[in-house]
Amino acid sequence: MSRITRRDFLKFTGGAGAASTLGMLGISSTAHAAKHGNMGAHVVVVGGGFGGATCAKYLKRAGINVTLIEPSTKFVTCPFSNYVLGGTHKIENITHSYDALRNSGVKVVRDTVTDIDAAGKSVKLKGGKTLKYDRLVVSPGIDFKWDAIKGYSEQASQKMPHAWKAGPQTLLLRKQLENMKDGGTFILVAPPNPFRCPPGPYERASMVAYYLKNHKPKSKVLILDPKDAFSKQGLFQDGWKKLYGNMIEWVPGKAGGKVSAVDTKTMTVTGELDKFKGAVVNVIPAQTAGSIALKAGLANESGFCPVDPKTFESKIHKGIHVIGDSSIAGALPKSGFAANSEAKMCASAIAAMIKGEPIADVSFVNTCYSLIAPNYGISVAGVYRVTEKGIADVPGAGGVSPKEATDTFREEEAKYALGWYASITADTWG
Amino acid sequence: MQTVKSVITWIVLGGSAATLAACTTTKPPAEKPAAAPAAPITAAAAANMGSNCFTCHGPEGRSPGSIPSLHGKTAESLVKTLQDFKSGARPSTVMARHAKGYSDAEIAAIAKYISSFK
Repeated sequence: MSRITRRDFLKFTGGAGAASTLGMLGISSTAHAAKHGNMGAHVVVVGGGFGGATCAKYLKRAGINVTLIEPSTKFVTCPFSNYVLGGTHKIENITHSYDALRNSGVKVVRDTVTDIDAAGKSVKLKGGKTLKYDRLVVSPGIDFKWDAIKGYSEQASQKMPHAWKAGPQTLLLRKQLENMKDGGTFILVAPPNPFRCPPGPYERASMVAYYLKNHKPKSKVLILDPKDAFSKQGLFQDGWKKLYGNMIEWVPGKAGGKVSAVDTKTMTVTGELDKFKGAVVNVIPAQTAGSIALKAGLANESGFCPVDPKTFESKIHKGIHVIGDSSIAGALPKSGFAANSEAKMCASAIAAMIKGEPIADVSFVNTCYSLIAPNYGISVAGVYRVTEKGIADVPGAGGVSPKEATDTFREEEAKYALGWYASITADTWG
Repeated sequence: MQTVKSVITWIVLGGSAATLAACTTTKPPAEKPAAAPAAPITAAAAANMGSNCFTCHGPEGRSPGSIPSLHGKTAESLVKTLQDFKSGARPSTVMARHAKGYSDAEIAAIAKYISSFK
């Protein structure tokens, strides 16, 4: 497919036969480049999540030759994985293939990038190949600081799942919930800022409570949090009280919520003031940029990657763009929607750079829905622009759902949450 | 170059309607979002703004789910709806929070872009 698209493109641009052949072989035509920018340029995208898949798709639409490298054959989304835990969705409902991207002409390679050579403009794959690029987009999501909590590790996550990368971990946590006895405590260890999906842990507590209320009503949900505030806090706490009474308890940092150690043998969690025993323990560890971004030296001391706010080009390595959860994107949250929006702006900027056109003004949007129950939705939205201070909220726009709202309003937002998911996944992988 | 554009800029606004809209609509500076670009809105900038709508409203505005489709609507009706969301004349859950992020010229440019998909 990519060859046809490319051939059609060259035909339209009046490229000579020789140029077309060179283009089809992935070699840029100097004569063509001199006239119309470097249209033979090759962009490699690392990671097929909301950021990477969207960027690859929009680059291809702009006529750019693009290869997407992703280790999985299918992508399981973190958004809506809390509904798998709550029992309203199956894992198949949140799993997406790369077929549509392939059909649109994106070259999708199932492999893992093990090294990035910024000076040599190439990436090394686990499978042994080396790929050259003219521009690289790095969108690897997040990785965990495994040593932040004593006793927690990748191995410990088999007993106390994080489920903060969706897939087997989601299913493991769901299974533990199903096997939990009525009257047990579900402990959620919340992460410190910054982390993927700011409202996510609190939506998770909600959906777990929804499941427990209906199946194991004597149980409890305990959130141990190093923070003293969280996203959509007032809306969550009002909803919890209304729907679940005292089932959900939130212990903030100032009340001893910071967890220093866990013990998978005794299923205990050590806070600052108390030890807690859980029937099921969900530990969401502190986070960094994806490990490949760290290995490539794209992150600063914060563990995340500084980028130009307009193009998302790395401030450390020229020719490499970092988007999604790994990037430092000012006021934009680490969300699937933000990654999708950043990906479009990054694709637009890269296409302009390759074509030798001016880089257009950018604009970002975010909308995150959370369900407190299947018929009770809340949202946070924002519109963002580049200012001299970086990516900032447009004053007067955005914000959270109203504190006082009718049941119908909450139902409408729950309905739109489902529509949101259908649309964003179609926009990303469709 | 013109031929190149006609092939590849189907995601970008054709023509100069957006630019005209930007020039003919003036707003008191106090009401303008602080970060709004002062220069005329280019077709590529309109595409950047408008492409963000597809995340909720579906690719090219064709919604596969419960959120209304934008595809097939005229620029005029999109401008009216967005302005009504912005002013509160039309109640909404989230759309007022979005519409308030754009100047009149930007709303016109976004509407023109979205209505360009056939």
